[in-house]
Amino acid sequence: MSLGRFLVRRTLQGLLVVWGVITVVFVLRFLSPGDPVTFVAPLDASPELRQRIAADLGLNKPMHVQYADYLAGLLQGDMGYSYQRGLPANDIVLSRVPATVELAVASSIVAIVLSIPLGVVAATRRHSPADYGATLFSLVGISTPNFWLGIMLVLFLSVQLDLFPTSQRPVGFLEAWTHLIRFKLAGPSLSVPLDAGAFADDMGTWLWHITLPAVTLGTYFTALITRLTRSGMLDELGKEYVTAARAKGLPETLVRYRHALRNTLIPILTVLGLQLGTLIGGAVITEAVFAWPGLGSLLIDAINSRDWPIIQAALIVIGVSFVVINVAVDVVYGYLNPQVGYE
Amino acid sequence: MPRDLLSVRDLTTRFFTQEGQVNAVEKVSFDVEEGEVLGIVGESGSGKSVTALSLVDLVEDPGRIVTGEINYRNSELAESASENAPDAVDGDFVDVRKLPERHRRALRGPDFATIFQDPASSLNPSLPVGEQIAEAVEVQRRASANPRSTRSRTQSYGLGKFLLGTALPGQGYLTEESKARAIELLELVGIPDPAERAEALPHEYSGGMLQRAMIAQALAGEPELLIADEPTTALDVTIQAQILDILGDIQEETGMTILLITHNLGVIARMCDRVGVMYAGEIVERGSLEDVFDNPVHPYTQGLLGSIPDLESAGGRLQPIEGNVPSLLDQEMEDRCYFADRCPNAMEECLEKPPEFPGPGSPDHAAKCYLADHPYEPEQALPEDYFDDESSDTTVGRDDGKDDASGEGVSADD
Repeated sequence: MSLGRFLVRRTLQGLLVVWGVITVVFVLRFLSPGDPVTFVAPLDASPELRQRIAADLGLNKPMHVQYADYLAGLLQGDMGYSYQRGLPANDIVLSRVPATVELAVASSIVAIVLSIPLGVVAATRRHSPADYGATLFSLVGISTPNFWLGIMLVLFLSVQLDLFPTSQRPVGFLEAWTHLIRFKLAGPSLSVPLDAGAFADDMGTWLWHITLPAVTLGTYFTALITRLTRSGMLDELGKEYVTAARAKGLPETLVRYRHALRNTLIPILTVLGLQLGTLIGGAVITEAVFAWPGLGSLLIDAINSRDWPIIQAALIVIGVSFVVINVAVDVVYGYLNPQVGYE
Repeated sequence: MPRDLLSVRDLTTRFFTQEGQVNAVEKVSFDVEEGEVLGIVGESGSGKSVTALSLVDLVEDPGRIVTGEINYRNSELAESASENAPDAVDGDFVDVRKLPERHRRALRGPDFATIFQDPASSLNPSLPVGEQIAEAVEVQRRASANPRSTRSRTQSYGLGKFLLGTALPGQGYLTEESKARAIELLELVGIPDPAERAEALPHEYSGGMLQRAMIAQALAGEPELLIADEPTTALDVTIQAQILDILGDIQEETGMTILLITHNLGVIARMCDRVGVMYAGEIVERGSLEDVFDNPVHPYTQGLLGSIPDLESAGGRLQPIEGNVPSLLDQEMEDRCYFADRCPNAMEECLEKPPEFPGPGSPDHAAKCYLADHPYEPEQALPEDYFDDESSDTTVGRDDGKDDASGEGVSADD
């Protein structure tokens, strides 16, 4: 199958999944306790006022009509208004996406950069101190709860040693870049100064703030991938094609990386993709510990106040990212493992 | 007068497993003459494949070559080795085992090439076949572009170079020339449409095609010695004949020296000039093809030949060799002839290890059996039930897993 047809088919399948997510989340609203009106209306609101609020929010219509209205809105890119703040759910949710994506990507990068070399070293120097160190690290990393690690890092590195900030995200990654982009849009003729200093300042601040959350979130991930790399690499290095590659005189670097590691990465890639999806939806605790303004903390707030448009919008965004990441993983998978191809 | 290309002395390879020490190859000595095909034949678990892997220093953990010399004649290598490893050199011969590891590694490909039993698992499933052959070409190209003395250094390829090669186009290990040469090699071994097939992945090839590709890969290094470890075992009978034809043709054209390892006496008869018969990690009989096939001395060799169907004297039942290859676990091995428990002519003196006696054939003919020295003496015979107590447990831990796993006996299929 060609890549084009593969993409079309996977996109259609993905849309089906997203529709499923939308429907389940919608139905969930009718199954969960707590009337949103109670949270929106003043405490002393009269029954008439409560009725009016319900009518305003469209909550008095039959369920199927509400569902149809909601789908129609979604197709037009309208996810409704926050019950609490009255602002469009789109804006609220989308404003939180960059923070979460930054955190997920940063912790993935931390994980990949650390874990794959660590796993390779552990596998190629089996039973050496390096191997035992890597194995111990991955055991500890997998068993350490996120929130505890986050709090410990804050206590030691931020509070005691004052190396990192304890929380917050004063500036975003994209905001930092706008110092350069604005210059580009304006063009050199307009003599808007290239604000490299501001860019460097903002990037520094951003990096300084994201380090601890990324390490906290990435530790489990690093430990997991280290383990997978080590065992996968040991598996591949024991295979006959590795002996054959050595027998033809190939330098050991190529035997290890061009042959064995490449085949090890195929299954790891799947885990990586799934984990990245989990990170986008599941950074809730880390975001809470570091007051990181992402989707996770937004979702918690929304659930506490039964702000259903926000809950729905956040879950849809998370669902869509899951689907997109998985399709991307499949595309790369087909490239790395031509035996499977785009089937 | 043919000269020896390789002279192996007392090669001993052992596996140090959790169950104990496995003596896979025990004091094996043989010579390979330049331009000949030397066959090594034996049952599964007799140590043939481990012998092959020992020669190219690819015995894997927990296995280790314990002692022995692998003397390789190469005046160029001897000259360069006399500087950095003088005690390895003896005239034109170099004891490969005494070379530093990176020098030993540099011998693989351009000096010793190997063909393995199962072509399907000997190629990386996710790289195109042509690229894998091109790698072998590239190894040879880089090797011959440099004098031997610096070869081990120039052959190395660090992680930095690899990352650079992966990231930048045109900086990789392979070159266009080596890819083109790979296509030529595929054509040479009779693969149709070589340019197109070079792009294909191993799973898109048939078994016979893959073994041809493996031969092409081995030829890429223009090796002095080709070690073919069961090259036809995993193939259909008709394909086996084709592969042997290709090997035979190449040997005739280039005069390449081949060490052919097989359990198949038919393959030996067809291809080899001289033969060594392996049993329980030892070469029990060796000699020219005629010596071993027409005048076998060792009862094991006689048993092997007796298990071949013979067209001319059809009708009689084949004579199998009773029993199994003994355990190679050190603690279960006694200091006797390892074949005595299966031998129809076992005598009391067989409880003591026989030395190698000259055989009745050519000067080359020799056997590790007292029968080569003096005829069978019935009054010395061991009682038939002598080994019964221990024979019950001799099959435990027999296979060390490094030899052919298919469990075939010696056969005469061709």
